[in-house]
Amino acid sequence: MSLTGEFSRRVSMLLHRGRFRRELDEEMRLHLDLRHEQQIASGLTPKEAHWSAQRRFGNVDRIKERSHMAWGWNWLETFLQDAGYGLRSMLRTRAITMVALTSLALGIGANTAIFSFLDAIMLRSLPVKDPQGLVKLGVEDPGGITDAFANTELYSYPFYRQFQRKNAVFSETAAMYSMMNDVHGFIDDRQEPQLIHVQTVSGTYFSTLGVSAQLGRVLNETDDSSKDDHPVVVISDNFWKRTFGDDPSVLSHKVKLGNVVYDIVGVAPQEFFGTQVGVAPDAWAPLSMSAAIPPGWGGYDKNFTEGLYILGRLKPGVTTEQATANVNLLFPQILRGFPDANLSQWNLTRLSRAHVSIKSMAKGISDLRGDYSKPLMVLMVIVGLVLLIACANIANLLLARSTARARELAVRQALGAPRSRIIRQLLTESLLLALTGGALGIAFAAAADRVLLRMISQGSDTVPLDVSLNLRLLAFTFAVTVGTALLFGTLPALRATRVQLVENLKSGRGASTAAGRSPIAKILVVSQVALSLVLTVTACLFLRTLVNLNDVDTGFNKANVLRLDIDSDITGYKQNDPRLKALFKQIEDRVSALPGVTAASFSAFTFAEGSWDSSIHVPGMPVDHNTNVNHNVIGNGYFATMQIPIIAGRSFTAQDTATSQRVAIISEHVARTLFPAGSPIGHTYDLGSDSNDAAHPLTVIGVAKDVKLHGLTGSANYIDYLPYTQQDWSFGDLEVRYSGDFSSISNEVQQSIHAVDRMLPISNIRTLDAEVADTFTNQTIIAELSAFFGLMAVFLSCIGLYGLMSYLVGRRTGEIGIRMALGASRSEVAWHVLREMGLMVIAGIVIGLPITVSGIRLVRNMLYGLSGTDPLSLMAAVAFLLLAGMAAGYLPARRASTVEPVVALRDE
Amino acid sequence: MAALIRQKSDSDSDRNEIPPGTLYLLILKTLAVRGRLHGYEIAESIQNCSDDVLQVEEGSLYPALQRMLIKGWVTAEWGVTVGNRRARYYTLTRDGEKQLGIEVSQFERVMGAISRVIQTA
Repeated sequence: MSLTGEFSRRVSMLLHRGRFRRELDEEMRLHLDLRHEQQIASGLTPKEAHWSAQRRFGNVDRIKERSHMAWGWNWLETFLQDAGYGLRSMLRTRAITMVALTSLALGIGANTAIFSFLDAIMLRSLPVKDPQGLVKLGVEDPGGITDAFANTELYSYPFYRQFQRKNAVFSETAAMYSMMNDVHGFIDDRQEPQLIHVQTVSGTYFSTLGVSAQLGRVLNETDDSSKDDHPVVVISDNFWKRTFGDDPSVLSHKVKLGNVVYDIVGVAPQEFFGTQVGVAPDAWAPLSMSAAIPPGWGGYDKNFTEGLYILGRLKPGVTTEQATANVNLLFPQILRGFPDANLSQWNLTRLSRAHVSIKSMAKGISDLRGDYSKPLMVLMVIVGLVLLIACANIANLLLARSTARARELAVRQALGAPRSRIIRQLLTESLLLALTGGALGIAFAAAADRVLLRMISQGSDTVPLDVSLNLRLLAFTFAVTVGTALLFGTLPALRATRVQLVENLKSGRGASTAAGRSPIAKILVVSQVALSLVLTVTACLFLRTLVNLNDVDTGFNKANVLRLDIDSDITGYKQNDPRLKALFKQIEDRVSALPGVTAASFSAFTFAEGSWDSSIHVPGMPVDHNTNVNHNVIGNGYFATMQIPIIAGRSFTAQDTATSQRVAIISEHVARTLFPAGSPIGHTYDLGSDSNDAAHPLTVIGVAKDVKLHGLTGSANYIDYLPYTQQDWSFGDLEVRYSGDFSSISNEVQQSIHAVDRMLPISNIRTLDAEVADTFTNQTIIAELSAFFGLMAVFLSCIGLYGLMSYLVGRRTGEIGIRMALGASRSEVAWHVLREMGLMVIAGIVIGLPITVSGIRLVRNMLYGLSGTDPLSLMAAVAFLLLAGMAAGYLPARRASTVEPVVALRDE
Repeated sequence: MAALIRQKSDSDSDRNEIPPGTLYLLILKTLAVRGRLHGYEIAESIQNCSDDVLQVEEGSLYPALQRMLIKGWVTAEWGVTVGNRRARYYTLTRDGEKQLGIEVSQFERVMGAISRVIQTA
C-alpha cells in the first residue's frame, strides 16, 4: 500500500471531481432502481417499493457527502467556496475593498522592498562553497595602500606569501587588493575604450572560495607565480553577457588593459559577484600583474607596500579563537623577519600593541553594510508600523462592514451555521484580501526596489546588488501577508459572530451594536494616531538632520562646480612624463578659457575620495607619528576653482616648475599645530616616511583656510597642497567653476578635453554638490523615506478617523436630530463632532509621546546637529497631527451640522 | 463467518446492524469469493450469505467503497449488467487480498477474546 499511490489517486480524484460526482450518482441510482424492481417483484406496490428501497438505502445526500469526504478534499472545497463568496462580497463593497487593497499593497510592498535590501545587504551569505568557514584578517575593511608598520587591516604580498606557508589554521588562504582597478580597456581590436572594473586577486582566490568557472577555468597558483608575465583574466558572467553577448567563443577573445593584452581564460559562475556585497568586478586578474594594470599599484615584491586583504578558509575543527591565536603569533614574527623592517622604537611599540582580529567572511565584505545596517533596521521598523496602521484601518473597515452585514450573519447562524464556520469564512475573506494586497505589494516592491537601488547608488552606475525576488523574500512576504490577515481579520470576525440574534433579526440598525462597536474602533483609531506621532516625529528628526548636513560648512564653495573623472592612464604615459603634465596643463587652459567658466583645475582629491597621507617632519618640531597629513596634488587654479581662501602667502603660479624650488601650501590647522609659532611661510618640511624627500624639502609658500576632506561630520583635516608640476600624479579629477547651465557647460568641457586628446575617457560628470551629498546618502534616504512613510501613516490614520466619524455621525442622525429639535445650533452640533474627534487625536498624542521619546533614543546616533529629543520636531509633529485630524473631521462635522431634524426624526 | 451469524441470530431482532468496523471485512470477503460485483450485488450477497440476518444500511457501502478505492484495495470499472444497465464493478486487488487477511485475523482475535469473556462469565 504505497502512500504515493494513495496520494496520486486523491489528486486525480480532485482533478476529476465532476466525473466523480456523476459516476457516484449513477451508481447509487442503479442501486435504488434494482432494489425497487426487486421489491415490486416480491409483491409491493410501486409506492411501497419506492419507500422501502429508500429506507434500506439510507439518506442519499448524506451518503453522497460521506463518499465525497472520503477523498479528503472537503477543506479545500470549503475554502474555495468561502473564497468565492469572499470575492463576491469584496466586489459588492468596492470602495472599502479599494481602500483596503491600496493600503495593503503599499504596506506589504514597503515591507518587502525594505526587507529585500536587508536580505541582500545584511542576511545573505556569499554564493561560495561553505561560506561559514571563510574568515578575513582585520575587521575595518579600509581600502588603500599604506607603508605603516604593523597595520592589522592591510597586508603586503610578501607577507601574504609567508603567512600562507607558515600558518597552521587555514586549509587555504587568498589575498585580494583592497581597491578595485577601474581601467579603461579595449576589447580585441575595438577602438572605443570601455570601463572595466578589475579586481586583482591571488591565484588561490577562487579555490579558497570553492568557486569554479562556468566556462574555461578560474585563476590558479601558476598565474600568480612570477611577476608581470601572466596576462590572464577571468571575467564575470555579467561582463560576458554585456560585452560579448553570451558568446561561447569568448575564450578566444582578448582584453587590453594599460599596455598589456590579456587572455580571457574563463567566465565566473552567474551568481558569483566576488567577495564584496554591492561591488561587482567585471574581471579578476592575478596579483602578479598588479603593476601592469592601471593605475599600477604593484607591490608584488615590496614587503611594506600594504594594500591587500587576506582571506582564509578554516581547517575543519579549528575555531576562530585558535585561528586568531595562530595569526597573532605569526604576525610579529613575519614582520620582524623582513630584512627591510624598520624596527624603530616607535614601530616596535606599535607592533607590541597590534592585535589582528578575525571576522567571518560568510556574508562578504561590505561598505553598504556599515552605512545601511542601522538605517535599514530603522526603516524596517517604520514600514512595520505603517503596516500596523494600515491593519488597524482595515480592521475598522471590516468592523463597519460586519455591522452592516450583521443581519446576514445572524440569519446564517439562525439557520444553523456553526460560529466557527462563519468565523472561518470571514477569515478566508480577510486572507483573500491580504493575499491580493500581498500580490500587489510584490509588484509595488519590484518598482520600489529599483528606486531604492538608484537612491543608494553614487554617481551614474547602479550599485550591483541583487534585490530581485527569491524564496526567502517570498516566504517573508507570505508570512507578513498571512500575519496581516490574522491581525486585521480576527477581531472583526469574532465581533461579527458574537451577536444577539434576535436583536439583529429584528432590525438591521440595532442601537446596541453601534454602541458596542465604537470602543474598539476608537481604540484602533487612537493607536493609529499614537503610531503616526512616532513616525511623524522620526521623520521630522531625520529631515532636520538632512538640513543640518546640507548646511555644514565644508570650507570650500560646493555650489556651481562641475567635476568629472578622466582616465589619463589610457595615454600610456608614466606619471613623471612631461607630456602627461603638458596634457593636464593644456586641458586646464582650454577649459578655463571657455565662456561661463571662471576657473578649472585638476586635483588628486576633492571630497570624500580617499587620501594619500603620511606624517610630516618639520625641522625643530618633534615628529608626531599619530598625525597624518593628507596630501593633495593640485593644479594652479585649484584654490580659485574651489574658492578656498589663501589667508597668508601666495598660491601656486606658473613660476613653480619641475626644476624650481619645491613648494607647498599648508592648511591653517597644519600651520597652527605642526609648525613653530609665528608665520610658517618660508619654513621647510619633508614628508615623514619617504627618505628621498629629506634631500628635497618642501618650502611653505602659503596657508589655506581649513576645509573638510573626508566627510561632513568630522573636524577639519590636516592638509597640505603640492603642485603637480613638482609632484607626480596621474589624475582623475577635474573641477570646473562655472556659471550658467550645467548641461551646456558639461558638453563644452567634454568637447574641450576631447579636442586635446580624442581618446581620453570621461566619466562621473556631476556637480560638486552632488558629490558632497553622496557622503550622506544614507541620511538622505532615511529622511526621504521616513517622511514618505510618515505622511502615509498620517494619511491612513486620517482615513481611519474620517471613516469612524462618518460612521458615528450616520448612526447618530436620530440623536442629532433630537438635539437640534431641542434647540442645539448647527455650530454646536459640528463642534460636538469635532470635539470627539479632537479628543481621540489628543489621546493618541498623549499615548504616543512617551513611545516617541523612548524611540528617539534608539536613533539618536543617526541624528546630526540636534539635541536629544528635539522639541521643535515634537511640536511640529503634534501640530501637524492635530491639523490633519481636524481636516479629516471637517466633512463628518459638516454633515452632522446639516442634518434636518424633521428628516432625521422621521427616519428614526 | 458462520460463527458470527449464529451468535447474531440468537438475538431477538431478525435483522441486525453489522458490528462496527466489519464492513470492510464483509466487502473484501464478498469480493474475494464472488469476484467482480457492483454495489447492489455486494449488498445482496452479504445479506443472502448471512441468511438475511446481516442488514447493511445499503447506502453506507458507497463511502466505504470510495475509501477502499483510495487505499487501493479494490479497483473499479464500468460494465453492463444482465439487465443491460451501466454499472460500476469492483474487483479485489493484491493489496485488497492482503488486507482481507489482516482484517480476518484481527476479527478473529477480537471475537476469540469476546467468546472467552462470555464463556467465563
